[in-house]
Amino acid sequence: MSEEKSYEEKLAEFEARIERGEKIEPGDWMPDEYRRQLIRMISQHAHSEVVGMLPEGAWIPHAPTLRRKMILIAKVQDEGGHGQYLYHAAESLGVDREELIEALLEGRAKYSNVFNYPTLTWADIGMIGWLVDGAAIKNQTMLAHSSYGPYSRAMVRICAEETFHYKQGKEMITIYAKGTPEQRQMAQDALNRWWWPALMMFGPHDSDSPNTPVLMRWKVKTKSNDTLRQEFVNEIVPEFLALGLEIPDPDLHYDEESGNWIIGEIDWDEFWRVIRGNGPMNRDRLAARREAHEQGAWVREALEAYAQRQAQAEKN
Amino acid sequence: MRDTQWPRYEVFKQDRPDKPHEAIGTVHAPDPEVALLNARDVFVRRPECYNMWVAPESAVFKMTAYELETIPNWWEEDLPEDAAEQTYYIFNKQTQRRSMVAVTHVGEIKARSEREALRKAIESGQFVRKQAYMWWVVPESAITSSDEEDVLSMFEPAKDKTYRDQSYYTGRVFARRSQRRPEDIPLS
Repeated sequence: MSEEKSYEEKLAEFEARIERGEKIEPGDWMPDEYRRQLIRMISQHAHSEVVGMLPEGAWIPHAPTLRRKMILIAKVQDEGGHGQYLYHAAESLGVDREELIEALLEGRAKYSNVFNYPTLTWADIGMIGWLVDGAAIKNQTMLAHSSYGPYSRAMVRICAEETFHYKQGKEMITIYAKGTPEQRQMAQDALNRWWWPALMMFGPHDSDSPNTPVLMRWKVKTKSNDTLRQEFVNEIVPEFLALGLEIPDPDLHYDEESGNWIIGEIDWDEFWRVIRGNGPMNRDRLAARREAHEQGAWVREALEAYAQRQAQAEKN
Repeated sequence: MRDTQWPRYEVFKQDRPDKPHEAIGTVHAPDPEVALLNARDVFVRRPECYNMWVAPESAVFKMTAYELETIPNWWEEDLPEDAAEQTYYIFNKQTQRRSMVAVTHVGEIKARSEREALRKAIESGQFVRKQAYMWWVVPESAITSSDEEDVLSMFEPAKDKTYRDQSYYTGRVFARRSQRRPEDIPLS
């Protein structure tokens, strides 16, 4: 080890690799800060998938048709799978899934704010698919280009599957928006309640996002929060308007010069209040996760006992 | 509460009999049998899958191109005199393109250790077209495979769930950039 390189040399090499578009893989040298940021992001992302099963799962027993029930079950199963892909991507950085789950159950971990809002009507299921998953896909499509190999691969798989979530939601809302006055009202009401929480999913303004510069420098992210949010607004606003739905933002207007749809100011007080645990559903979500974890304990114990007995039988 | 951290298993999925196995991620399980079941649930909610292998993550020897370059004499080890030859499965990654796959199965090598297997694999030149970015070596004895007779019960049902496929729904996901001028839009 006589030719051990200095930290600065290693960092320069690392940044040059990223600049060349190479993926960083487990085992490669990386700055501690890169590892720390990735664990933070990926674990929050994993928790969001797992907690995200709850607001939609609540509607499985109430689906109006068998077709809609099968679609919703498939979608919620996908979210569970996505959580697993992501916990495992985080594990490649040297943390345990178990310690991450513990942090979630003990209320020490963050997950996407949007899942701390209640699903009040069946139309919310369609709106979550179209609007909320649409926002998620926007973010995830960017992360599929992430410089960290395992994160990028998990994202590519998630995006491919998430497209179905988006499309089934859009289909449902389109039918409602073209349906009876009551159905139209349900679609509009769902849009009114989910619009702002969905825009908040992109995170605080770039000026209030201290992690963004380093994440972009190391190509964990390739676009900033505000850039992604604007792209999303530009894509989805015309689609809602074309269906005759109203965007619940009196300040929304089209800017001819930039070609952007300009939104009014997001209620950041609400954003921070929900992040700090005081959203409408924070407590319920965690209570439901804990209950599910405890109720599954006997399955884990049974599998463990079976594995031990098999191992014993093989020895004898 | 520390009751879910079973060993990790790497999962290798083969889409069709004529395709190689690909490393697609890991699952936790108390034994290989449950690892295969978990792998089905986590990775085969959709077609296609013909066969799956699982191997304990601890049995998979992994080296990146960066490590091969920067760790001097990475192949050096103290092999016991009587170390026996066994079969190792060789996997690598030969592209930096967007992918869901870490490494792909490229063949087998007989060797006395994983390091020896990797060195032989690289020196043979037969497993790489241009460049390999990552290598994995797995002893054959560490791999548990799904059975051919399980295909019908484990993997085929995913084919009937067409509603999981985005092409089941009409319309596209995002207009690349909204083509629609605002005046075309009925502002209610």
